[in-house]
Amino acid sequence: MRNKYIEYFEQKQIEGKEVPQFRAGDTVRVYVRIKEGEKVRVQRFEGVCIALRGQGTGKTFTVRKIGANGVGVERIFPLYSDSIEKIEVVRRGKVRRAKLYYLRNRKGKAARIKELRK
Amino acid sequence: MEFIVEKIGMSRTVGVPSIPVTLLKIVDIKVCEIREDGSAVVAYSRGKKLNKPIEGQQKKYNLSKEFNRFAILNKVNNSEVGDLDLSPLESATIVQSSFNTKGRGFTGVVKRYGFGGGPRSHGSRFHRRVGSIDNAEFPGRVQPGQKMPGHYGNKKNSVKNEVVSFDKEQGILVVKGSVSGPNGAIGRLKVVK
Repeated sequence: MRNKYIEYFEQKQIEGKEVPQFRAGDTVRVYVRIKEGEKVRVQRFEGVCIALRGQGTGKTFTVRKIGANGVGVERIFPLYSDSIEKIEVVRRGKVRRAKLYYLRNRKGKAARIKELRK
Repeated sequence: MEFIVEKIGMSRTVGVPSIPVTLLKIVDIKVCEIREDGSAVVAYSRGKKLNKPIEGQQKKYNLSKEFNRFAILNKVNNSEVGDLDLSPLESATIVQSSFNTKGRGFTGVVKRYGFGGGPRSHGSRFHRRVGSIDNAEFPGRVQPGQKMPGHYGNKKNSVKNEVVSFDKEQGILVVKGSVSGPNGAIGRLKVVK
């Protein structure tokens, strides 16, 4: 149970922010606002969400993708940050746990996640 | 202007950059008596403690039963007795909050003063001890102020913080950064600017 005043303070900031429902295992595309001097541009980051943690304004999610030369790249985003323009869910994954840290030890075919079919 | 506040806890903002914030609740205060130098005798509610002396004071200042704690604030904005005037907080930009730090009990020098300690292994037989505390025959005594184990924490500490926002209805003041003490602690708040 969180304190009602903290809850109220955080709720006021989160209000009006549209964030899609997703969980670990889903492939997401995050549009991040990047400020370079005076210019603001939007960069995309697409990968598998391997963890969602925290609550309120402190809620974050971790996205893992395999970059150039097969190097794994992970980024942690605050879910409600103003620097995130939007989040798109590309694919729903079928997984049995909430944190997919085991993917870090897997390579290639072994690191695949089946798509969720209803 | 002085106020009594309760530390609620910490949170953060969603802006860029995200700011760490501390929420402070302004405790409901009744001003009982204003003295000539601008200080005031005030009453507030904390717990259920009640005894004859408290009852006597309540009768003297015409207070209800909840107001069982009394304090003296160095400066108040009120010109007459009654509820404390919170208007100085609305225009405040920097406040100083004084809280007692978390009590750590009797601690050694590594935790208390950040001494390095010795190697943990290789049979050193010197781990978290104080070590030498002075010379031998000269001066033949330990210098005053020598850092040694002892009680650590539960001591007043003041910090200045920027004000992020103030919610008058709920009496919640949000400041940037942290203040000392555990959540739920009672402290003093002074408007600096």
